[in-house]
Amino acid sequence: MNATTQTQNPDSSGSSGQDWTCPFCSLLCDGFRVESQQGGLKLVGSDCSKAVQGLASFGPVPSAPSATVDGREVSPDAALDAAAERLAASRMPLFGGLATDVAGMRQLVRLANQRGAILDHARGDTLMPVLRTLQDRGQMFSTLAEIRNRADLVVCIGTDAASNFPEFLRRCAPVEGAAFARRTVFVGASAPAGLQGEVDEVAPHGDLFDAVAMLGALIDGRRLPAADAALEGLAQAMRASTYCVVVFEPGRLPAQGTLITEAVLRIVMSLNRKTRAGAFMLGGADGLQTANAVTTWMSGLPLRSRVGPLGLDHDPVQYASERLLQEGAVDLLLWVASLGPKPEPPATALPRIVLGHPALAADCAAAGTVFIQVATPGINADGHLFRADGVVTLPLRALRDDGLPTVAGVAKALEVRLAVRRLATEDRP
Amino acid sequence: MSTIRLKGGRVYDPANGVDGETRDIGMRDGRIVALHPREEADHEYDVSGCVVMAGGIDLHTHIGGGKVNLARMMLPEDHRANRARDSLLELASNGCCTPGTLETGYRYAQMGYTAAFEPAMLAANARHAHMEMGDTPILDHGAYVMLGNEELFLEMLARGEDFERIRDYVGWSIDASKAMGVKVVNPGGISAFKFNQRKLDVDENHVHWQVTPRHVVHTLARALTELGVPHPLHIHASNLGVAGNIESTLATIDALDGLPGHLTHIQFHSYGKEGPKKFSSATRQLIEKVKAAPNVSIDVGQIIFGQTVTASGDTMRQFANADLGSPRKYVGGDIECDAGCGVVPFRYREQSYVNALQWAIGLEIFLLMDDPWRVVLTTDHPNGGPFTSYPHLIRLLMDKSFRDEQLARLHPDVAASVDLREIGRELSLYEIAIMTRAAPARLLGLADRGQLGVGAAADIAVYREDADREAMFATPEYVFKDGRLVARQGRLEAVPVGGTHFLETEFDPGIEKTIEQYAQRHLSVSYRNAKIGNDELCSCANGGALLACKVHGRRGGK
Repeated sequence: MNATTQTQNPDSSGSSGQDWTCPFCSLLCDGFRVESQQGGLKLVGSDCSKAVQGLASFGPVPSAPSATVDGREVSPDAALDAAAERLAASRMPLFGGLATDVAGMRQLVRLANQRGAILDHARGDTLMPVLRTLQDRGQMFSTLAEIRNRADLVVCIGTDAASNFPEFLRRCAPVEGAAFARRTVFVGASAPAGLQGEVDEVAPHGDLFDAVAMLGALIDGRRLPAADAALEGLAQAMRASTYCVVVFEPGRLPAQGTLITEAVLRIVMSLNRKTRAGAFMLGGADGLQTANAVTTWMSGLPLRSRVGPLGLDHDPVQYASERLLQEGAVDLLLWVASLGPKPEPPATALPRIVLGHPALAADCAAAGTVFIQVATPGINADGHLFRADGVVTLPLRALRDDGLPTVAGVAKALEVRLAVRRLATEDRP
Repeated sequence: MSTIRLKGGRVYDPANGVDGETRDIGMRDGRIVALHPREEADHEYDVSGCVVMAGGIDLHTHIGGGKVNLARMMLPEDHRANRARDSLLELASNGCCTPGTLETGYRYAQMGYTAAFEPAMLAANARHAHMEMGDTPILDHGAYVMLGNEELFLEMLARGEDFERIRDYVGWSIDASKAMGVKVVNPGGISAFKFNQRKLDVDENHVHWQVTPRHVVHTLARALTELGVPHPLHIHASNLGVAGNIESTLATIDALDGLPGHLTHIQFHSYGKEGPKKFSSATRQLIEKVKAAPNVSIDVGQIIFGQTVTASGDTMRQFANADLGSPRKYVGGDIECDAGCGVVPFRYREQSYVNALQWAIGLEIFLLMDDPWRVVLTTDHPNGGPFTSYPHLIRLLMDKSFRDEQLARLHPDVAASVDLREIGRELSLYEIAIMTRAAPARLLGLADRGQLGVGAAADIAVYREDADREAMFATPEYVFKDGRLVARQGRLEAVPVGGTHFLETEFDPGIEKTIEQYAQRHLSVSYRNAKIGNDELCSCANGGALLACKVHGRRGGK
């Protein structure tokens, strides 16, 4: 980790790409630059592995936007016609993946309304523990700037808070000359190298479920017969801190992770009776936060909802993509992966419509699949994404124009085609 | 160009002094025009037996942004019921306390409202707020940016920064977030809560910055006056919901020192601590003060019995009330050295002494205030109750016997003792038109809205006369938005994208250096992304019209 970038946003003024916002994880860093080099894109100002990897998936400018139907190269219009036809024939489509920006998601919700589609994100399984905790008990959160300016104690539960979000600990490191010292404690995870301030690791006995349950009980001041000494010390430190932030990563939670997210909430609520604290969730990547926010505001219900002429139906368990596909409960998959080559569309015998990154072309050449290459916000399209905290929305600006359509553009074109088909049907005697 | 005539309606247009006269209203190109009686209109609607008013304007309703969306996510139970769609134009969108944005637009328009303003837009969350409002169809919209709790502002106050610099900062903030005004919430208190302060009175110091709410309120009110911002400082005063908070409310009015101020959801700030429960109505004190302070306007924040959810930037007070949640759940957040949010579901109950008194206090404020131009009808949606209860509220205000029936259901101690029993006043249609259209338009500086004069925007609601005012106001016969028929007898006829009202302020751009340095040192977003440009606003707001209002400052003097 680069210690020199820890205390300030890296300087990024004065050359091309200075307004770049990175789409490759949900931290949406907007302090780095990208330079175009021999047809490739190079990150300047950070060594973030996520960004480097993401940029590497955009090589030389593609010669022409392409689309395929059942593996045959076709014109974009022909691909849209084929996609519309298959959508129109579907009685219960699943819109999955949903790695797209605000504009794309707005349009996908409209399209879903036409066909009564179920909406779920590729990372829906990581959203559900958090969402169900929110629905059952609530949430108490903090955001990056608050952590940076206030948090004297950061407790990372079951995550090194770095592997999947390399810039996180750098971006919330205390400001230079801060009036407090930062201590970072990793519970059930190893600390990443090179972290400033006091760093500790706590390896509790038992699993993460036991650890958070015991930590919660200790923070509540309950006397336990066989308390883990390290957790006891940690609980004491959390109660003594002026602003404690508990970090967890939904993508790393074991099955039944809701028990852990609930325990984290209880811990934070309990701390707030006497001192101040908040939770921070390292999640929401691949546009998950965005897809969930847009679906919720337009319809009133979050992801894993069916939207259509008969209204809404939300089911966090039943409407999981994997389950729907396995059980054959849907008859078509529309998959959206515009923020990079991942998430890949699941293999299925059902008809597939894939709006994806060009690198997915090979995977989408099978019979039964319509593949339409789409642009990536922040690389070859403008757009907006929601940050991990769900509060900050940032603009993404195109670095170049590859002539690719946006997800919003494709979804709109499909909506228009479906509307025309419906009118034609209604006109028939 | 197509013309429309509404023929033979009784017109209530207080901005132009029209009180129930029978006259025709003409429309062309989205504007109200004078049509010669013999000129044939392309569309003529016989509206005899109907009341014609400008479209309703809600100047305080939480319709868009982070906390509203969190409230939706946390309350799936509020969104399960599927209302049958009235029209193919409607997309699936549900909810009562915090409906989806689509449902919000549909339901407001079906009630004859044509504009709504989100009062609590965080600068850090401004894009999101504009996006949600952009997805709220039919209604024009705008938002007040929350100031007075950002660390930068408090730091400037604490170090005694020149007032002119602070004024420039306020001007910049309005411009950067594309706001229509400024709201201050628990002045300094949201920040103080981050420093673990649990209470902050008007003359008490913020534990870290050592500045008082009085100082915050006065500085912001003065800045807005000098910037020429039409809407007075929108104030959610200190100590919301606390027994005895009338003291802070009166002190906040004093802090304005004669400068314009709009005290919002004033019902929640009008409590005494008399009586056996140490909780009492302070309506008389409040009204006496407001009557004597012509610089002050209010909206009520009437509570409505039943389930709702309270969503507020006031983390200090929301956390204090978290245990009262029903169902018991809580969302709270400290946000970006800017502000915060707290969401508590709540069920107001007739048999609760406190809730019954809150209900009575709200109605007393409406009925005892002598100048309807300074009182706006709100429930602080969804905090006092959902906006869909406006027709019910209007009936309570217009119908004494209906009011008495409701009063009889309250907690017996309240029913037997409140002043409301003795108040015989029934508001007239003219007064309702002021409180729901003309006054909010005037308070927002919307010269061509909230009225039916020639040249005004053709936002019009036509209600069929009905002695049951609730039924009458729930389902207008016709609703026009910019001259286009959008609803007929509660059924949607068109779903246009609404426009965004925002201000273009004048300020010394030198202030940007200070803000940039602060952002670089303390914040998590690049300064370059702190500002929303017009093109970006257009994409956030879904391509709706940009209704910019240029305001000219009166620098250097009152």
